[in-house]
Amino acid sequence: MIDMIEKEDSIISEEEAAQYDRQIRLWGLDAQKRLRGSRVLLVGLRGLGAEVAKNLILAGVKGLTLLDHEQVTEESCRAQFLIPVSAQGQNRAQASLERAQYLNPMVAVKADTDRVEEKPDEFFLQFDAVCLTGCSRDLMIRVDQLCSQNNIKVFCGDVFGYHGYMFSDLGLEHNYVEEKPKAVKPKTEESNEHDGPEAKKPKVDPSETTMIKKVNVDFCCLKDALEVDWTSEKAKSSLKRTPVDYFLLHVLLKFRTDKGRDPNPESFAEDSTLLRQIRDDVLEAMTLSSELLPHDFVSYCFSEMAPVCAVVGGVLGQEVVKALSQRDAPHRNFFFFDGMKGSGVVDYFGPN
Amino acid sequence: MLAKFGEIDLDTIDVSNLNRQFLFQKKHVGKSKAQVAKESVLQFCPTANIKAYHDSIMNPDYNVEFFRNFMLVMNALDNRAARNHVNRMCLAADIPLIESGTAGYLGQVTVIKKGLTECYECQPKPTQKTFPGCTIRNTPSEPIHCIVWAKYLFNQLFGEEDADQEVSPDTADPELSWNPADTEARATASDQDGDIKRVSTKDWARSTGYDSVKLFNKLFKDDIQYLLTMDKLWKKRKAPLPLDWLELQKLACPQEVTGTGLKDQHVLGVAGYSQLFSRSVETLRSMLADKGDGAELVWDKDDPAAMDFVTAAANLRMHIFSMNMKSRFDIKSMAGNIIPAIATTNAVIAGLIVLEALKILSGDVEQCRTIFLNKQPNPRKKLLVPCALDPPSANCYVCASKPEVTVKLNVNKTLVLALQDKILKEKFGMVAPDVQIEDGKGTILISSEEGETEANNSKFLSDFGIRNGSRLQVDDFLQDYTLLVNVIHCEELEKDVEFEVVGDAPDKAPTPPSSQEEQKNFANGNKDSAEPSTSSNAPAEQDDVLIVDSDEEPSSSTMDVSTESGGLKRKLHDAETGEASAKRQRLDQATADDDDDIIALD
Repeated sequence: MIDMIEKEDSIISEEEAAQYDRQIRLWGLDAQKRLRGSRVLLVGLRGLGAEVAKNLILAGVKGLTLLDHEQVTEESCRAQFLIPVSAQGQNRAQASLERAQYLNPMVAVKADTDRVEEKPDEFFLQFDAVCLTGCSRDLMIRVDQLCSQNNIKVFCGDVFGYHGYMFSDLGLEHNYVEEKPKAVKPKTEESNEHDGPEAKKPKVDPSETTMIKKVNVDFCCLKDALEVDWTSEKAKSSLKRTPVDYFLLHVLLKFRTDKGRDPNPESFAEDSTLLRQIRDDVLEAMTLSSELLPHDFVSYCFSEMAPVCAVVGGVLGQEVVKALSQRDAPHRNFFFFDGMKGSGVVDYFGPN
Repeated sequence: MLAKFGEIDLDTIDVSNLNRQFLFQKKHVGKSKAQVAKESVLQFCPTANIKAYHDSIMNPDYNVEFFRNFMLVMNALDNRAARNHVNRMCLAADIPLIESGTAGYLGQVTVIKKGLTECYECQPKPTQKTFPGCTIRNTPSEPIHCIVWAKYLFNQLFGEEDADQEVSPDTADPELSWNPADTEARATASDQDGDIKRVSTKDWARSTGYDSVKLFNKLFKDDIQYLLTMDKLWKKRKAPLPLDWLELQKLACPQEVTGTGLKDQHVLGVAGYSQLFSRSVETLRSMLADKGDGAELVWDKDDPAAMDFVTAAANLRMHIFSMNMKSRFDIKSMAGNIIPAIATTNAVIAGLIVLEALKILSGDVEQCRTIFLNKQPNPRKKLLVPCALDPPSANCYVCASKPEVTVKLNVNKTLVLALQDKILKEKFGMVAPDVQIEDGKGTILISSEEGETEANNSKFLSDFGIRNGSRLQVDDFLQDYTLLVNVIHCEELEKDVEFEVVGDAPDKAPTPPSSQEEQKNFANGNKDSAEPSTSSNAPAEQDDVLIVDSDEEPSSSTMDVSTESGGLKRKLHDAETGEASAKRQRLDQATADDDDDIIALD
C-alpha cells in the first residue's frame, strides 16, 4: 500500500507549509507528502499509545484510528496525557479523542471501541501501518502475519516499568532513500608559488546534497523474531552481546497471556512470584540459565512510567514516520530501552 | 513529590512551534508560552502547582535566593548566554541542573552538580562561527558568505549601522599586498580617506531616495568592477561577473511555477531576483519612512520583505561569484539560523530528563549520566548512549575555586566599553560586571550601577594605567561570580580580532558537515550559530541543541554515526564497560514533567 501513495499527489497548502516547516526542513517535502497520504491504526491507548498518537498526529499523517476497548481507570489518567481527569469510566479511545484531535486538526483522528481480537482481517487492510501496544503475543503474531503479507508496515511496542521495547516488520522488501552530501573532490593542483598569500580554492557547497536510493530486504515476522533457537553453540556464544531485555520481553508477554493483564503494583508480591516462575520456565525452555535475568528484575517492570513511555513512544513514532515516508534507514528490528541505565539498544532477532 | 514548579519563558507561541510543542494549539499563537503551557498541563494534571513567568531568566529578580527555592532546575534554552547564566546561578545556589538539547534527530541530556560534576562551562565550547571581513566583502566562496553580506547590507541600508558589518570592497585586504606593513598602510589610508567610500551606505542610499536601480548598479556592477581591479585576488579564483540592471531586464521572462512544491523552494533566475530586489527595497523603504525620522528596521526572518531582500541580494551576489543560487526556503534556513525540529526527538529527550530528575530527587545523583541520542545505533548497537559524568575541571574559569583567565589585547586600542560588552559579557557570559583594577588603589573601572562609570566607556584601558601584566578583579554579583583577569598587552593580533583568551582552542572552521543537517546545526542554540545573527531582537528558534554523537571509529555498516560527528572526538565513557569518559557538548531541551510544581522559565 505504501508504494501506491502518490507523492506528486497534491499541493501542500500554506497552512501545512507553515505548521510543518521545521520538520520539512529536516526530512524534506516528499517525505511530508507521503506522511500526509498515510493511514495508521494504533491499538492501545495507555501511556505508550498516547505518546505514539501524539507523535504521529503532530507528524501530519492522513488519518489515525485509535482502537481500544478498555475503560479509563484512575491509573490510566496518570500516565496518559490525552485523557481528561473527568473521563473515568469512559472508553479509553473515546476519552483520548478530543485532545488528540486538537493536536492537529489536519489529521483525521477516529476512535474505535472494539476489541482488537474481534476485528476481521479486512479491517486491518485499510491501513498503511499498524501499531500494536498492550496486545497479546498471539494477537501480535497474527496481525503481523496478515499485514506484512499485504505490504502493511507493522510495529509493536510496550512499556513495563522502567523497561520498554519496540519491534518492527517492514516486510521483505522495504525501500527507502537516504540523503548524502555530494562527494567533495580534493583539489590536486597545489599552490607551489612563493609569491603571495595562498589563494583559497573554490569549495564544493557543503549544503548541496544528493539522494541515494537503497533497498533493505531483511525484516522477518514477529513469530520468527520471538522463536529464535538458542540451543546451538553459536547462539549461546552470542549471548554476551545480546540485550537481556529480549528475554525479559518473553517473560512479560507470557505473563500477559497467562494472566490477561500486566504486572500490577497492587498485587506486587503475588505477581513477582509468578514473574520469577515464568522466567525460570521460559529460560529453561530456551536451554538458557535463569540467571540471565537477575532476581531483582521484577522490581523494575511494574506499571507504565510516563518518561519511559515518552522515550519508547518517541523512537517508535519516528520509526513509523520513517517507514511511511520511506526515508532514512529503519532500525532493524528491535529497540530496547532500559530506563534504569539510560541505554537504548537496536538489535536484530530472527533467522539469518 | 515536588512542591512547586516555576516556569519562565519570555517567548510567545508561533505557528512553526506547533509541529512539536504539543502543549500549544493554533488558537494560542501569539500568547505567552509560559502561561499557555501552564494551562495545558493543568488540564491533565489539575493538582500540579505551577507558576508561570513571562520573563527572561536573566532578569536580576531571579537571584540566588530565588533559585534556592527549588530542589532542581531543568533547562530548555536556546542560547548560550542564558545557559551560562543559569549554570552560574545553579552553582551559586548549589542546586542540581539538568541541561539538555536537541537538533533534528539528535539530542543529549546531562546533569550538573557543583563539586561533583563538570559545570556547563568547564569544557570550552566552539564559539559562533565568524568570517573574515575580506571574505564577506571581497572574496566570498560559499553561499553563506553571500547571505551574511546580504544581512549586513540590510543593516547598512535599513537598520542599525555597524562598523563590523561593512559591505563595500575592502581595500585593506591582506591578500592584496606582500607584506603586513603595506596592508596596514592601506587600512589607514582607507580610514582616513574622505572619499566616497567613506560616506555611510545609508546616507548614500538616502541621497538617491533608495532608488533600487541605482542601488543595484552600485552593489552588483560598480562595486564588482572595483573588485576586479584588485587583480591579485583573481589570480587563482574565478573572477566575479558584474551585472547590469538594464541588460538583465531584457532577459526577464515570467517564471513558470510548477504546482507541486512549496513556493519558497523554487529557485528563480537572476532576472527574477533582480526584480525581487527592487520590490523588496521599495517595500522596506516605505516601511522605514513610515517609522519616521532616525528610524531603523530590525531584520527578522519572518518579515516577508526583509527575507525577500536577503534572498534577492544574496542570490545576486552568489550568481556574480559563480555559485548556484538558492531558494528562499534554503536561504531562510541559513539566514535565520533555523534548526529543524520534530516532536519525537524532543519526546525522547524529555523522557530522559525526567528519568534523570527522578534519580536526583530520590537522592541517587551518582546514578546520573550524560545520555546521547543518535540517529543510528553506534557500532555497539546503542541508539541511546549513557556515559558517566565527568568531575569538575580544575581550570574552569567559572567553577574553579578562584577562577582566573588571561586575555591578550591592545591596551591602547581597547575601549572600556569593549571590555565590558565584548569580553566580559559576550565572551565570559557575565550579565552585570563590576570591575576593579588591582593597582593598589582599587580603582573602579566599570560599575554595574547604571550611569556610575559611563564616562569611562569611551576611554582606552591604557588611560587607566592598565598595561601588560595588569590584573582586573571582575565580579558579577547576580551570578555570585568573581573572575580574575590577567591582561597581556599585544600589538599583533590578527586582523578583525580584538582580543584573545589564552588557552582557548583556536577557532577553526568546523569540519565540513560530512552528512546531514544535524552536523551543520551543531550549535549552542540558534541564537548563537554562524554569524548571520545580525538581528538581536529576532525571535530565535526554540530548539537548541547540540551535541552529538558518541564514539567512534567508522564502522563498516551503513550507519553514518561516526562520520556524522565529524571531527568531534570524544573518549567515550560507557557506564557499563567503564572506559574513559566522554566530553559532552551542549544541549538544549524541551519540556518539564507533569509532577507537582513546576516553574517554567524562559
